Amino acid sequence: MNLPLEEALQQQSNKQQLQYEAYKSRKRSLLYNRYFILGILAILIIWSWVGTKFHIMDLFSGFSNMAIFIFQDLLPPDFTTIPSFVGPILETLYMSYVGLLFSVTFSLFFGLMAAKNTTVHPAVAIVSRSFIAFLRSIPAMVWGILLVAAIGLGPLAGTLALGLSGIGILGKAFADLLEEIDENQVNAVRATGANWYQVIGQAVWPQFKPGFVGWSLYKMDLNIREASVLGVVGAGGIGFALEGSISLFQYQQASVGILAIFALILVVEFITAKLREKII
Amino acid sequence: MSKMNKQNNNLSRGILWSLAFIFFVISLLQLDIAPEKLANIFSRTQRLLDNMFPPVIDDPINIAGAAIESLQIAVMGTLWGIIFSILLAFFAAKNMTPHISISYLVKALAAFVRAVPALIWALLFIIAVGLGPTPGILALAVNSVGMLVKVYAETIEEIDQRVIDAIRATGGSPIQVVMQGVLPTISSIFISWSVFRFDINLRYATVLGVVGAGGIGWELIRASRMIAYNEMLGVTIVMFIMVLGAEYFTRFLKQRADLATIRATK
Repeated sequence: MNLPLEEALQQQSNKQQLQYEAYKSRKRSLLYNRYFILGILAILIIWSWVGTKFHIMDLFSGFSNMAIFIFQDLLPPDFTTIPSFVGPILETLYMSYVGLLFSVTFSLFFGLMAAKNTTVHPAVAIVSRSFIAFLRSIPAMVWGILLVAAIGLGPLAGTLALGLSGIGILGKAFADLLEEIDENQVNAVRATGANWYQVIGQAVWPQFKPGFVGWSLYKMDLNIREASVLGVVGAGGIGFALEGSISLFQYQQASVGILAIFALILVVEFITAKLREKII
Repeated sequence: MSKMNKQNNNLSRGILWSLAFIFFVISLLQLDIAPEKLANIFSRTQRLLDNMFPPVIDDPINIAGAAIESLQIAVMGTLWGIIFSILLAFFAAKNMTPHISISYLVKALAAFVRAVPALIWALLFIIAVGLGPTPGILALAVNSVGMLVKVYAETIEEIDQRVIDAIRATGGSPIQVVMQGVLPTISSIFISWSVFRFDINLRYATVLGVVGAGGIGWELIRASRMIAYNEMLGVTIVMFIMVLGAEYFTRFLKQRADLATIRATK
């Protein structure tokens, strides 16, 4: 026969035992899950390692060859060739800017159609969303190749490629921004008897503007990077001149091109950062 | 006073908008986008579309192999990018670096490496190590390092110093400080940035083949040189499916991990 005190102690220790069991099972499931994901990653890495015939020595030989190449061939940059890069650099800038305006204009339309609360019909929203997703999942470079085939070499193909891939990014961003708009403010303005333009101007735009400006300027930064390599496939911009000088073994000229791209990116990022501060 | 401010603001805004517009007109003129050229686009695009449909995939084994190679290049590039970034990030973070000048040096290097696009790194690595998937992997790794070092270092800099002090106070060695204090607080942010970088790398890997750095981009540029428009569309569709599939796969893994965490902490 147990005494009451002993019984209580027994119960308490049982309870602790149960809690401990639950804790252990939780820990086990977490650990099991971690091993599962790590296992998948390990399989993926081994598969890729074997598939690409990668050798750990490639890292050392690759980077040492690269260092030798940089210090022997790329440096010092031949700064007398700067004038030949001015035109392509400006062209890159123009392409990015026109491509940006193109994608902003169309993204506003497709974004409005894709957002659940501003679309004319739910079916239109689904079509618009999937169109945007399709544009997004094909890289600008691929658009460049397709458009060069369609409309010929030159900056027009590159500009349109930037514009199309831009709709993919900005359209999604704008649609998401519109869906997050506070409906109460819109309803409040509407309750005062405002017409559609006034509702858009006074209730929707003020909420939409910071995201709109931020995403558009971010896209400008991206465009400069994309535009500087689109020339490799003949879609205009500095990439064409750069690849030309590399394939002619004019490496000291190529290093000027690389530095020019670096400078252009820095300048544009500085300007977009200033504009972001000023507008938002 | 506030009225004047507002007027001033309106004036500067007007200047900004007109500058933007003038720059747009200049760009259009410089790019030589003439109306007749634009009108031409439609007839030429019409011809392109006529030739594109139906899409065909000549030699499906080859193209599937190229798509898989792109995927593998992205995995390997991300792996080495992450490894080097973690090593460098500890030198770049202000609270971990042996000396503050090393931190600035590593950060400046990362900024330069980040600003040069991946495709140009691929062009340079092809000269240094030859054609094939290896220059693609190295180019993606280098470009990833540029971005990941920055975000990793920022994450490490935001670590709560008190946690580290607490472990140090119990007599923890530097390795124990890293394992018990640093890693648990930064791992989730590290993982989400690394997954994000993998998505970017996968997109780059599809086009690296354009310059001969391995992967499916080569098949696309080959088809475009042969003016086989229907094959170009076929390859583009394969690319699209590959990128989408990989995105669903990473999302599936992420959801699984989140679900397990939620279940365990309930």
